[in-house]
Amino acid sequence: MFFSDTDFSALRLPESLNSLRDEIRRFLDRERRAGSFKPHLGHGEFDVAFSRRLGERGWIGMTWPRKYGGHERTHLERFVVLEELLAAGAPVHAHWNADRQIGPGLLRWGSEEQRMRYLPAMARGECCFAIGMSEPNAGSDLASVRTHAERVPGGWKLNGQKTWTSWAHKSSAMFVLCRTSPATQNRHEGLSQLIVDLSSPGITIRPIRFLDGAHRFNDVFFDDVFVPDDMVLGEIGQGWLQVTSELALERSGPERYMNTFPLFCLLLDALKQSNDRLARISVGAIVARFASLRRMSLAIAHAFSTKADPDVNTEAALVKDIGTVFERDILEAIRTLTDTVPTRDSSDEMERLFAEATLFAPIPTIRGGTTQVLRGIIARRLEATL
Amino acid sequence: MSDAALLEDAATGIFRDHYTGDLLVAAKHAGWCAGLWKVLEETGMSLVSVPEDSGGTGGSVQEALTVIRLAGKYCAAVPLADTALLAGWALARAGLPVPKGPLAFAVAGTTSPLTVKQEGGGWKLSGTLGRVPWARFARALVIVAEHEDRCVVASVDPAQYKVSPGINLAGEARDDVVMENALVSGARVRAAPPGVSVENAWQRGALSRAVMMCGALDRILEMSVQYCRQRVQFGRPLGKFQAIQQELARLAGDAAIATACAMSAAGALDSGTQEFDIAVAKVRAGEAAQSGASIAHQVHGAIGVTEEYLLHHSTLRLWSWRSEYGSEAHWSERLGRTAIEGGSTWLWNTLTRH
Ligand SMILES: Cc1cc2nc3c(=O)[nH]c(=O)nc-3n(C[C@H](O)[C@H](O)[C@H](O)COP(=O)(O)OP(=O)(O)OC[C@H]3O[C@@H](n4cnc5c(N)ncnc54)[C@H](O)[C@@H]3O)c2cc1C
Repeated sequence: MFFSDTDFSALRLPESLNSLRDEIRRFLDRERRAGSFKPHLGHGEFDVAFSRRLGERGWIGMTWPRKYGGHERTHLERFVVLEELLAAGAPVHAHWNADRQIGPGLLRWGSEEQRMRYLPAMARGECCFAIGMSEPNAGSDLASVRTHAERVPGGWKLNGQKTWTSWAHKSSAMFVLCRTSPATQNRHEGLSQLIVDLSSPGITIRPIRFLDGAHRFNDVFFDDVFVPDDMVLGEIGQGWLQVTSELALERSGPERYMNTFPLFCLLLDALKQSNDRLARISVGAIVARFASLRRMSLAIAHAFSTKADPDVNTEAALVKDIGTVFERDILEAIRTLTDTVPTRDSSDEMERLFAEATLFAPIPTIRGGTTQVLRGIIARRLEATL
Repeated sequence: MSDAALLEDAATGIFRDHYTGDLLVAAKHAGWCAGLWKVLEETGMSLVSVPEDSGGTGGSVQEALTVIRLAGKYCAAVPLADTALLAGWALARAGLPVPKGPLAFAVAGTTSPLTVKQEGGGWKLSGTLGRVPWARFARALVIVAEHEDRCVVASVDPAQYKVSPGINLAGEARDDVVMENALVSGARVRAAPPGVSVENAWQRGALSRAVMMCGALDRILEMSVQYCRQRVQFGRPLGKFQAIQQELARLAGDAAIATACAMSAAGALDSGTQEFDIAVAKVRAGEAAQSGASIAHQVHGAIGVTEEYLLHHSTLRLWSWRSEYGSEAHWSERLGRTAIEGGSTWLWNTLTRH
């Protein structure tokens, strides 16, 4: 039923990727030794300089065409790079949106001019984009967005508010999903995507503090913001199709089950002297769960490397649902098997990362489609096929 | 249609046509289904992956697993995995003849110790093998056992052992086998060839159970979705209730995970590094069995726990197969031990090696 097109018994990363893996490992090792980053969970810090160094090595926009600054590598190669970055707890926030969502969105729906304007800079790690979908009254129910754009000569006049917009305060532009004609019976009609330059007049970005006080996301207000016609992404009225068509890669990547993996590595090494059967069993169960998620995530990357547009949305929902719930198992194992006290500013790495993971724990099952929403998607497919 | 699809179709046809609900119920009391076995034998399904020159049907392990998975799905009370994937494999690899008929298979290791002595031209086996699947129906009991610091494959005639019948939760024969100086002629014993060992046999057994559990999970998912479409409460089919949908989605996830891992392990079989993948497969199939069977029963309500309704044939098998060839705890502990001993770098290298 699910993954019916995947032959798991033959699913292998080609040997030729070993050298790429070695290369990125050496790079990460050097960076760590040079003190360029400290491992963090949940995509680490927002570090443009680090992203730029990745860009120099061709590790952003890996699958994009060369003419847009990409590297025409496969989705499997990209998978290898992503999982190594995440395992190291490297700071990848500054380019993650661009690499995963914005770039593919521009490639699929953007005009030639839009692509040339943004993609090469993104691939260099120099252009950060925010994603403006959620609003105060449109969370899971995304189609109820109220931010709207009105036709004016030469473009559109945008009004409304986005919320939870990650890194808007560090981004140069933003995709905004908005209404361009009033809601009808079919709520999915009349939505469009605009590319909004965040330096435009009429934009106010206000921080929302995360529960640890950090500033990662924002409210973004639009007050008569002018968006020229050439900044419409894709077609007016096709916004819903556009935002829902890129979800498979977004939901199935290793970032959906690897957020706490660096912590698990610390646990493993801390147990070296242990002779506790329970510890071995808990650790082994986590290893098995991790391995199973990786196989499914890899299967989706593989599907993208063999077909341009594989039908794996439900499989991706499955990976995200199970992966994000799994990440918490590692926290429970640490609590059960060690006396680690989560401590934010500790010099002990395990205490520090355990604190980060604990603070971060509620997030993965909410953003990018909540657990409940994902299970709804899976259930609809079951209803339709079984 | 591809060869794989043809095989799947043919095997499905056999289970559907020759293993009706009545026969399934009868098998629960009889310990197995002789009629179904006969058809599987006549069609060559019973020895898929055993080479033709050893008397088998030929074909790949993958093909054998396709049939075994369907046997799991249709709750087939026959020694299919044991005959083709386990006993047939060991005999063929050891260069022993593969007798016609159902075969039982046992691994004599630390949990079921067996004394193996060579005397004159023959061998003498003594000891008790606990819960040997299908022993009382078998034409031969194939044992992979340690002998001094070697390993032997023995094909034991049923006349040489006593069976004390037992069953697993689902009523499938799981018999204790007692041997007191059981005589086995030299012609029926061979030193295990490379690739055949107590450990490898145990791993193969675990893979067979993981694959059978995948089939059973497919079945309970289908039954649950279909039941929730028919059963109406509060004026709506159960499947329209979100609480039920969420549970069905989890069950689908369980089935998908079990399959991903079992098939991945199948691809690693005989690679020399399959232990890791098989451990993952058995742990994840067992976890999926636990979670999936609970969900299937929950959405069925009371009817699911009746003898008349067929769900229990699948769920009881899931609970039984979980503990055959090593429970989740057994395989998790092994994985955990190697991971802790190897350390995080070793683990990451292992996880990412393919
Ligand atoms: C750290 C973080 C970063 C984010 N970054 C961005 C960003 O950059 N850009 C952006 O656009 N958004 C971003 N988001 C927002 C995110 O996409 C939303 O939080 C998400 O879509 C859920 O919406 P909500 O928070 O309004 O919750 P709600 O939709 O109000 O849901 C609350 C609860 O109700 C449940 N629920 C809702 N509807 C149903 C239903 N039909 N059936 C059953 N249960 C239901 C949900 O599952 C959830 O448990 C971010 C969120 C977080 C936490």
